[in-house]
Amino acid sequence: MKFRSKMIDVGCLNHFTRVVNTITKLNKTCVLRLTPDNLYFVLSGKVANGGVSMWCELLQVNFFDEYQIEGVSPDANEICLEVAPENLSRALKTAQNAKSVKIKLTKKHCPCLTLAAELPSLSSVSRVVTHDIPVDVIPRRLWHDYKEPSMPDFDVSIYLPPLKTMKNVVDRMKNLSNFLVIEANLSGEMNLKIETDLVSVTTHFKDLGNPPWGDDASQSRSQSRDPAAMAHARLDIKKLLQFLMGQQVNPSKAMCNIVHKRIVHLIFLHEDVSLQYFIPAVA
Amino acid sequence: MKCSIEGNHVKAFGKAIHALARIGEDLWLDPLEKGLALRAVNSAHSAYACFLFSPLFFQHYSPRLSTQTLGTPVKCQLAMKSILPLFRCLATIERNVNRCEISISSDENWVVFQFYCRHGIIKTHNLSFQESEALQAVFPTNLCPNVLKAQAKLLGDIARHFPTSQEEVTLAISPVRVTLKNYYEEECDRAMYTEMSLHPDEFDYYQVGIDSHITFCLKELRGLLSFAESHGLPVCVHFGPSGKPVSFSLDDMPLTATVVLATLEERTSDPPSQTGPAQTGPTYRWVPRMCPPYPVHPPSTVHRPPCGGAPSAPASASPAAHDGPHESPVLAEDRVLSSQASPVFSAAFHLRKLLDLQNPSPPWEEAVPTHNTDAEAAAAAATATTPSNNQTTAIEDMEAESICATTKMAANTIPATPLAAKVMRP
Repeated sequence: MKFRSKMIDVGCLNHFTRVVNTITKLNKTCVLRLTPDNLYFVLSGKVANGGVSMWCELLQVNFFDEYQIEGVSPDANEICLEVAPENLSRALKTAQNAKSVKIKLTKKHCPCLTLAAELPSLSSVSRVVTHDIPVDVIPRRLWHDYKEPSMPDFDVSIYLPPLKTMKNVVDRMKNLSNFLVIEANLSGEMNLKIETDLVSVTTHFKDLGNPPWGDDASQSRSQSRDPAAMAHARLDIKKLLQFLMGQQVNPSKAMCNIVHKRIVHLIFLHEDVSLQYFIPAVA
Repeated sequence: MKCSIEGNHVKAFGKAIHALARIGEDLWLDPLEKGLALRAVNSAHSAYACFLFSPLFFQHYSPRLSTQTLGTPVKCQLAMKSILPLFRCLATIERNVNRCEISISSDENWVVFQFYCRHGIIKTHNLSFQESEALQAVFPTNLCPNVLKAQAKLLGDIARHFPTSQEEVTLAISPVRVTLKNYYEEECDRAMYTEMSLHPDEFDYYQVGIDSHITFCLKELRGLLSFAESHGLPVCVHFGPSGKPVSFSLDDMPLTATVVLATLEERTSDPPSQTGPAQTGPTYRWVPRMCPPYPVHPPSTVHRPPCGGAPSAPASASPAAHDGPHESPVLAEDRVLSSQASPVFSAAFHLRKLLDLQNPSPPWEEAVPTHNTDAEAAAAAATATTPSNNQTTAIEDMEAESICATTKMAANTIPATPLAAKVMRP
């Protein structure tokens, strides 16, 4: 297994750092899948995460100037590593104004992802900072846990309101209740509701727009569905908030797919990064 | 002691206290003729810091009050917890405080801090203190083989690469490269290792006498680095082989600051008999500096019994006996003669052995520097007249001893012993 890559552009470096920072806020460990074309940060929906799962896809060419990978075997040309994103985030933080950053897979006291940043310095020879981030290699037999999640058969798909507003609303709501109901319909309306013994609060969003998926299955589904009928799911408010708070950049597209009473699927698209987050509904 | 600090300098004073707060729980205020010294040491006695403010720093400065012609200026030990809140918010101080007056009255056990603020507000804080021995460490920087001088910004940049929770780092030096690595006491599988490598050109001054690598506590140093960065001052690093202490100092006209840290002894097959607590393994101890010239004597003979009833280690009668020797740090201007003359003075090595000893048979070198230091410092500080007969006698003895052959002193084992003997003499 071999992996070597190099980033030169400061903009790419910043962007990559922001992505990693977002992942850091979601969970303590995550799985990094490296393939010849893409990098994936994966969180599989295990009980430990509360059933939440995440899939973040980066197109490697948009970030790295050099990228070489030799996977586990020729037919499975990819590498699967378990890493603590916080370490990666810390390493990248100090390399923000680096001339170049090299990331490679090495074996020191344990398998490591080594990040070597070349920093500008006062002398002719540049400073080199090396960070060795310990990783766990995930054996092939466990790879099925980290496959790309399929789009669920959703009932409603809707664009999200401005992230900042939604963040603020949910943040205020978390003080009142542990659970939040998110409901939306195909007329571009979305409500965020909380209900306790003492109080119930609903925030209404209108004219959000529904993304045209254009898929045959969902098309027919949505055609048969009453546009005003709401599909809802009850979520743990902290999980939703954690996801919203972690977003560092405003996505170009933010969508939400709701499977009635089952799962909420949030999709954030940036130029070269796509982030999907699945929050299961609670009873 | 009475002094007055004007506007801008109050912030610098506050920043110095912040830096010292990183080191220890107590602050020692030592008004000297050459300035006001603020010192702190950590509980493991493996880190020491001293900020010396020369009289130029103050609007006016008098180490002793006119009424107090006899005796030495009072030395105070304050709890960091009581003084740090006064200077906690530096931005507010910068905005509001016009002047700060500090006075130690000879009658009461207060140190009075008065802040003259905007709008005619005067804030007065009375902090009680314990009278104590001066805390000083001797560290002859001129004997260090390796010297680095770097701009504060460089060191700050380096320190930033290590997380604030990182306790220790290893600095390795060779003629072509300086490397800093983080250090973990135990081999830690899941820990992230960071290493940074610099070229000698980046330093203002680079002298490598011996290739060495030293491991010291970065956390305790951050206070000084932040102080240096805010004032844009270069920092000098003096060190030797592993196990010997490392000194970080900065020198600005009105003030000098020094932080001396113990370094981890390189592990050999037989660990030294005296392995201190884990990381900041004190292979380095502090020798009680018997100067101020009055020797150690029981609290009752002191003018003011220490308040609070609990004399801390340096204040107690025989510091060497229970807390280990306290070494005196020699500051740039305060180079004691012995440290320059003594050819074989090696702080850590000797002090470690001093600590080890319960039975009297130390190598002669140990006694020499200690007593030389004391004696000559005593001689040097002859301006301080001693009030009691007890003290006078003792000083004379010490001075006499310094003239005598060193072998005589060699007979004495632990520093406390001979001095205690002096005290007992009528």
